Amino acid sequence: MYNKKIRGPLVEGNKTLGQITKDVILPMDVRPGMWWFIAFGVSLLAALFGGYAIYMTVYKGIGTWGVNNSVGWGWEIVNFVWWIGIGHAGTAFSIFLLILRQKWRTSINRAAEAMTVFAVLSAALFPALHMGRVWLAFYIFPYPNTRGPLWVNFNSPLFWDFTAITAYLLISASFWYLGMLPDLATVRDRTTSKIRKALYGFFSLGWTGSSRHWIRYESLSFILGGIAAVLVVSVHSIVSTDFAVGVEPGWHTTIFPPFFVVGAIFSGFAMVMTLMVLIRKVYKLTNYITDNHMDAIARILIFISLIMGLAYLTEIFIAWYSGNEFEMFTFFRNRITGDYEFQFWGMIICNAFIPQLFWFRKVRRNWIWLLVVSLSINVGMWLERYNIVVTSLSKDFLPSNWVSYSPTIIDIGVFVGTIGLFACGVLLFMRYIPMMAISELKSVANIGSKKED
Amino acid sequence: MNKRFKIGIFDDEEKFLSSIRSLKEQKLSIHDVFTPYPVHEVFHLLKRKSRLPTAAYFFGLAGIIATLAFLYYTSVLDWPIVYGGKPFNSFPSFIVVTIVITIFTVTIASLALFSARSKLFPGRDNTIFDPRATDDKFIIVVESDGVELSASDTAGDIMKQLGAVEVMEKEFGNVNE
Repeated sequence: MYNKKIRGPLVEGNKTLGQITKDVILPMDVRPGMWWFIAFGVSLLAALFGGYAIYMTVYKGIGTWGVNNSVGWGWEIVNFVWWIGIGHAGTAFSIFLLILRQKWRTSINRAAEAMTVFAVLSAALFPALHMGRVWLAFYIFPYPNTRGPLWVNFNSPLFWDFTAITAYLLISASFWYLGMLPDLATVRDRTTSKIRKALYGFFSLGWTGSSRHWIRYESLSFILGGIAAVLVVSVHSIVSTDFAVGVEPGWHTTIFPPFFVVGAIFSGFAMVMTLMVLIRKVYKLTNYITDNHMDAIARILIFISLIMGLAYLTEIFIAWYSGNEFEMFTFFRNRITGDYEFQFWGMIICNAFIPQLFWFRKVRRNWIWLLVVSLSINVGMWLERYNIVVTSLSKDFLPSNWVSYSPTIIDIGVFVGTIGLFACGVLLFMRYIPMMAISELKSVANIGSKKED
Repeated sequence: MNKRFKIGIFDDEEKFLSSIRSLKEQKLSIHDVFTPYPVHEVFHLLKRKSRLPTAAYFFGLAGIIATLAFLYYTSVLDWPIVYGGKPFNSFPSFIVVTIVITIFTVTIASLALFSARSKLFPGRDNTIFDPRATDDKFIIVVESDGVELSASDTAGDIMKQLGAVEVMEKEFGNVNE
């Protein structure tokens, strides 16, 4: 199935099984470089700033944000959708590529799943804070209560959203952890430190690599992969219904669910690329995360970028074709021209034009270019969400409702805080958990040289 | 109770597999084999099967029925409210929650079943016959107790002949299945 002659080996450098274990565990065994402590310090500071912003939000209320009566959803919802989008990468990576039997996922899936978990955690903060009275957040659970019992509205996309995100967080975390079991056992069996042995022994749940374990492990991975694939598609579709069910011009369109799902996978893959470029550079893991891997992600990104471009064009075309003057106004006077033209054109350039650079092989194989393009996609996707959320709300049907929107320092603080939280999580992951799925790497190390391919 | 085992250690997948084949031909019972990654040939040779997918199907079915029943109870029987002129049992808009909760049920229940059946849970202390199995060695474990001495020796000889880097006999207490 995988043709080594055409696509190159999945693991370069003719590694033996023992070498793979050693190479992947090495970053956990040695003290990390100075860069790690600096990066962790900076992330921690960012997270503390976020902590302060959240404290102010809870203490004084959401009046500390830039939102107002017309623009009721500001940066927080923009950031929420952005983070959830990034959170689609891990599962998209591991699960779609798992059920499509794409073996090149093996070096990247662990890090992508880790990213998913931290990104979804960051995302989940925003809607909770947006409720205003965070301490009453549990009201959204449909539990028997003394108010009737009065149940939540099961027809509301906001409730669907809550269900989907909670389930997604728990499921992607379990999937990540399940994949980790054999590798935690590897760490347990290799370490000489007593504390580590006890700790990794506890978390590896007594894994031995027995054939009885492996067969159940494999069938469980496929079950979880198969059903979570449905969840990945549904989570962002549900997020899009938060908008599409509303009547605001620019929101009320049927294109939203597929448009959001594709956009989510786009930003997720871009974030995976950003992290992978850095990880393989810093830890010198180019034998495992090869140029071919980066090339493959880049090709997927061009494809998705073309879909995004088409979606933007479709939206504009339908606004004109519908003949609806509010839609026309939103797209032509408030996005393409007008107060928010910077965000609109930024989105078009970052998402539809810059990724086209990946048509060139030289760009796909140069790490600086990969970094620049993937970061610009992430900026572009943030602008897209800004564009959707803020433009439609700022100028709706009644000109007397029109206002402008700008974030306050608290808004910015919460956002910076979630970036810090995410970065802290990723850095701790690099330090304490095997960054690549060791057992899966071993199973593909010899592909192409044996009869099985 | 302590039990004795013959342990063969291999560093090559092919040699390891041919040893299993030959042990099977000689009708020697293999206690278990340990590998650093899943080797599908082993599942066929040792006839290992998993019924998790069947169980997952029933978890899914139970999840769907339970969720729909709960939604029907809360929205129709317990406290009916009209939302936007829709019927109380607005089935199409219940589908979303049903899908998500079903997926969630299947995941958690399958994980729990996996944990119970494989006996993998926090604090579990499964017998580690050789710690190199999680690194780069393939390991065959044959029970020495309860079989004739000659049979156990034959097993050792076969493994040695077919390229085991090491064959040893060891005693373990409290061996878990």
